[in-house]
Amino acid sequence: MSLAWTSKLALAVGLALLPGSAWAEAVNISYLTHWSPETVALLENAAKEYSKTHPDVTITVRAVPFGDLLTTLRSQSGGSDGATIGGIYDLWLPELARDKLVAPAPEAVAAEVKGAWPAGVVSAASVGGALYGIPNEIDVYALNYNKDLFKQAGIEAAPKTWDEFREAAKKLTKKDAGQQGFGMINSWAAGVVHPFASLLVSNAGELVTDGKPVLDSKQAGETFEFYEGLIKDGSSDPAMATADANTTGPFLDNFVSGKTGMIIMANWWESALKTGMGDKFANIATAPIPVGPSGDKPHSISYSWMTVVNAKAGEAEQKAAWDFLAWLNGAKSGQNGASAMSDILMSMGILPSRSSDIEAHKDKLGTEFLAGYVSVLSDAKPFPVVPGGQEFSESLQQTLEALQYGQISAKEAQAKAQADAISILERAAK
Amino acid sequence: MTNGYRASAGIMLAPAVTLIGVFILLPMLLTVWLSFNDWSTQTPFAEARFVGLANFQDIFGSTSVGRDFKGALVNTAIYTALSVAIILPLSVLFGLLVHQRDVGGGTLLRTVLFSTYMVPMIAVALVWSKLYSPSEGPFNQMLGLVGVSPQPWLSSPRSALISIVLLNVWQQVGYFTVLAIAGLTQIPGSLYEAATLDGANRTEQFRFITLPLLRRTLLFSAVIAIINAVQVFEPVALITQGGPVGSTNVLTYHIRRVGIERAQGGLGSAMAVMLMLSLIVVVCALFAFMNRKDDE
Repeated sequence: MSLAWTSKLALAVGLALLPGSAWAEAVNISYLTHWSPETVALLENAAKEYSKTHPDVTITVRAVPFGDLLTTLRSQSGGSDGATIGGIYDLWLPELARDKLVAPAPEAVAAEVKGAWPAGVVSAASVGGALYGIPNEIDVYALNYNKDLFKQAGIEAAPKTWDEFREAAKKLTKKDAGQQGFGMINSWAAGVVHPFASLLVSNAGELVTDGKPVLDSKQAGETFEFYEGLIKDGSSDPAMATADANTTGPFLDNFVSGKTGMIIMANWWESALKTGMGDKFANIATAPIPVGPSGDKPHSISYSWMTVVNAKAGEAEQKAAWDFLAWLNGAKSGQNGASAMSDILMSMGILPSRSSDIEAHKDKLGTEFLAGYVSVLSDAKPFPVVPGGQEFSESLQQTLEALQYGQISAKEAQAKAQADAISILERAAK
Repeated sequence: MTNGYRASAGIMLAPAVTLIGVFILLPMLLTVWLSFNDWSTQTPFAEARFVGLANFQDIFGSTSVGRDFKGALVNTAIYTALSVAIILPLSVLFGLLVHQRDVGGGTLLRTVLFSTYMVPMIAVALVWSKLYSPSEGPFNQMLGLVGVSPQPWLSSPRSALISIVLLNVWQQVGYFTVLAIAGLTQIPGSLYEAATLDGANRTEQFRFITLPLLRRTLLFSAVIAIINAVQVFEPVALITQGGPVGSTNVLTYHIRRVGIERAQGGLGSAMAVMLMLSLIVVVCALFAFMNRKDDE
């Protein structure tokens, strides 16, 4: 064989092997989350499991406090060196997608997600009809109360209406003992806004309708007045309800130490309660959100989380990231037909959103604490996912905190919240 | 000869001037230019859209953008003024105590005072957030021992900013004490001996010798303390997140929220320009005041 033919043959063999070589090339992907070290360890275990069948893929997990998650995503996702995968809150998606920081899901992944998750959850992970993330957790709000404190105050059942709620809060308040009836969280946007929004939707109100804020409604006015009433009664002490960057702090300390009778919170804080209370966690019960004067039945706000892939990551990294996420959230990676992701979520008391995961974890979801959340899931209303949503939340947080601290009246709070929301959402929509 | 001298001076200055130009002046000019543009921090500079003074109108307007900025500006001014007003006299007081040669343990005290400055802010923030805890914090427990009712510290909009100032004073006072000691060592001992012979008591010596001769040191300390205070970020980000009710929302934290979290680069740049201008005005006013005193 002549030298020319040998060269041609070598070139042909080389070209034929090229895609295989590229596929077998080592790929490093990173996963950014806000989870605690214990949960990060579970995720790392799952990543190791995946790497057994995909030895060419190395996955590293990095965690930052919740308060720094969006900033880290925004500041690092502008380049290929940023995290390949990020766990994000659905409210952040429209702007991350607009700024082309997150990649649309490949067709196969999108088809799988559309078939295996409820339509509402899929829509929260989509922008303009394109799916951007694989949903994992769904959170709803419910009333948590301390059964011991209820017993001591002579309250027999969880309040079902706002009148009963206000009455129970008064009975649970013992100022001399440093005990408050209802804990209103502050210094954390979601902790302030979501409980308020849950009460608002249980009063037949809405935050945003068709992209326009509707905080000037009668129902919203009643909700602001309800908050003002609780403060004026002395049933809620804002100084006992401050949160820190890790979404813990005095509001959690006071509830776990039996200084707060009731609080409206999401299911994910089950693990924080268990850690803080130990055996006393059995004192905590869950009930639907009390219904306001204009409402017909209990509702709750829901929001979801998803994992997205950095649009600036290299092609091989993106491909490996979607493959890992499809496995992590797939029905074969966990125990008894559940996904590995849902096993991790359930360790924190977080509800998985994939339909088959809910079925697989039916027993655990039936525990006294979580069953209260599962029962309100069907009537939950998704928190509005709109451009400018985060700024809108932070602005409403400021207004509600000013109301909590008695700096403004309910009427002033309502007018301010509506005016600010109009200006923020109009600017974001441009 | 003169031209040759100029050329060699230019060549020698060029590396430093180039570095300053690229890493300091250029980013400053870029920030000023971006403040006149509508720009998302996630997009290339080429996509910035010129909007004239609109960003400045917004940050001084009556909408939530303006209210939040003005609130952050006022919080920063209060934080800075309180920090400087507490740190400088304390540093002189500690400096005088440590500087006394006839008192034992001065070196140990100096080391202890300076050690707070070396503790990382993350550790300081973690410890102080627990010290301030309204229900189980040691501060309230100690106050309880002397019959004072528990204070809300970080949980009240009225006391949260002051609580952060106290944390800052605790961490920074050691550094400024070392500066004060350095200034005190420059004052000749003969001046005090002469004053003593003339019948001046300790208070008069402090007023007419120590303070005037410490003026340059205090000016330097004041400028550094102001710059440090204006740049406060970590305790707010780690402990209060700007709350409650925006009472600890200082400018650096607010600019980070607007410019990075919300990606509103134009607005964030306009805020940064205002912060820079405020700092320049304050520092220039301080120098002008000290120069007038020198002339007098």
